[in-house]
Amino acid sequence: MSLSHGLVHEVGETVPSPRLFDALAAHARRRPDQVALIRGERRMTYRRLVGLAEELAGALDGLGLDRRQPLCVPAHKTPETIALLIGAFRAGYAVLAPSPELGPAARAALAAQARCSRTLTVDDRGVIDTAPVAPDEQAARDFDTADPAAAPLLLTTSGSTGTPKIVPVPGDGFDRFADWATGRFRLTGQDTLLSYAPLNFDLSLLDVWTALRLGARAVLVEQEYSADARHLQDLITRHEVTLVQGVPMLHRLLVQDGAVHPAVRTVVFTGDALPEALLRQLGTACPGARFHNVFGCTETNDSFAYDADPAAAGAQTPIGRPLPGVRALLLDGQGRVLDGPGTGELLVTTPFQTAGYLQRSRNEGVFVAAPDGGGEVFYRTGDLVTRDADGLHWLQGRTDFQVKVRGVRTNVQEVENVLAAHPEVAEAAVVAIPDPEAGYRLHAQVTRRPGTSLTSLRLRSHSAERLPRHAIPSSVHVGDAPLPRTSTGKPDRNLIKAARQKGKPA
Amino acid sequence: MTSLADEIRGYVVAEFLDGEDTADLTAEFDLIDNGVVDSLGVVRIVSHLSRTYAIPIDDIPLTPDNFRSIGAISAFVETTTKTAA
Repeated sequence: MSLSHGLVHEVGETVPSPRLFDALAAHARRRPDQVALIRGERRMTYRRLVGLAEELAGALDGLGLDRRQPLCVPAHKTPETIALLIGAFRAGYAVLAPSPELGPAARAALAAQARCSRTLTVDDRGVIDTAPVAPDEQAARDFDTADPAAAPLLLTTSGSTGTPKIVPVPGDGFDRFADWATGRFRLTGQDTLLSYAPLNFDLSLLDVWTALRLGARAVLVEQEYSADARHLQDLITRHEVTLVQGVPMLHRLLVQDGAVHPAVRTVVFTGDALPEALLRQLGTACPGARFHNVFGCTETNDSFAYDADPAAAGAQTPIGRPLPGVRALLLDGQGRVLDGPGTGELLVTTPFQTAGYLQRSRNEGVFVAAPDGGGEVFYRTGDLVTRDADGLHWLQGRTDFQVKVRGVRTNVQEVENVLAAHPEVAEAAVVAIPDPEAGYRLHAQVTRRPGTSLTSLRLRSHSAERLPRHAIPSSVHVGDAPLPRTSTGKPDRNLIKAARQKGKPA
Repeated sequence: MTSLADEIRGYVVAEFLDGEDTADLTAEFDLIDNGVVDSLGVVRIVSHLSRTYAIPIDDIPLTPDNFRSIGAISAFVETTTKTAA
């Protein structure tokens, strides 16, 4: 295969990769004053990062918490939070790192499911604040116990409903991933990586955790500046960022106003289809860069990559070929494995993947035995993929009701269910409207129960308590008229969508 | 509400809540937590405030707390234009 250049370690290879903490400690010894993390005007060196992590590990020991229970650390994107995670791993704890934007009820539910002992935050002076997690054996009934030795980091899927799925990230899988990424993107301790995605996204496994393992620098983009083109461009220039990774929205901001980034040598786009025009603009904006379309998900981490050439950009950019050690199968409508070219649901197994969701019953039908009789566990992605005659793979869409809102996978039907659960809602339909900035935006049309006075603002507040922010519909129309129907009596989502796009309620 | 707050309210309704029933939109309603304004929306508000109230764009910190509610936006505009004058 043409793409297996670099220092790729195949699965099963016995080259030991140093565990994260050993690697960090080595950086702190050899290059103590090298900057590890940058956030705003603040820089944290490897010496300080490792020192603080040790301090926090000591503080955790002092708390005398049960190591069989994970800690819940909301994934604020600060150097101190990263030090706390490292300290917790060092002290032998697994850490659940949910989105800091998650509502308190949803976060409490996650923490109870994972049987966390405490929720911990740390301020910018390195002082820990802790709050107890109310134990709830009923909530945790269907959940495995986290194993800090096997999978110290518990991420969550973006999940469009209130409680995302908990995905334990295996430590050895992370090491294999970091080895792969280091080789594929030719990373060294001299690199500076822009960390654009939230810390609780799997993208941080590259732009924060692989960076730290290498002794490189990570520039942490604050959430509140994530749509500020000038700020992002300024960060890249000031810190001479060499790798940028993100959803197309990031790349759109980077090319804005004709900006040029000569220091960038690696551009990774992921999470959503990159429009042809934007790929061409990126080529101009980053004249010294290589461009990679990388495909993956929280469950398996990256599974495909494609080296894109902006000068040869086509209407669609393929996701390419399976990474070394990845097996990918396409299943047709009858569940048969497709040989050669064709379109079907993508099933993958990767050297980086999770052993399964923490919730046992979620794994059924999702993590499955190899359909072709191999020994691996495959993950059913729910993605429709075409393989062409050259063996290149092309993403076509979803097999279910999912769309990407600002790069985050969102299930339209689940959002609809949340709206419909409001006691004053008679019926609700949610449709995804294509949007040049966000990919898709959600629009809700709702009929209230007779005699009630439900308003769209109150329905938004109801959604905000139960949904992550990206899944709250950006427009909500509440009325008394019934929803338009198809001839079979179902809400006519196509009509609702078309009417919204024309700017009138259906 | 003051006339400035009314103006801001009018802008938020036209720009982000077009066609929705906004009778219960108070000055304290959290526009960000309730998904009315996202990070791209904050950028739109900032550029609107800069144009409408002649506030240099560099003087507008993009911290969401300044734009969390109609009350917060009005207070921000009031303070900033007063300091400049």
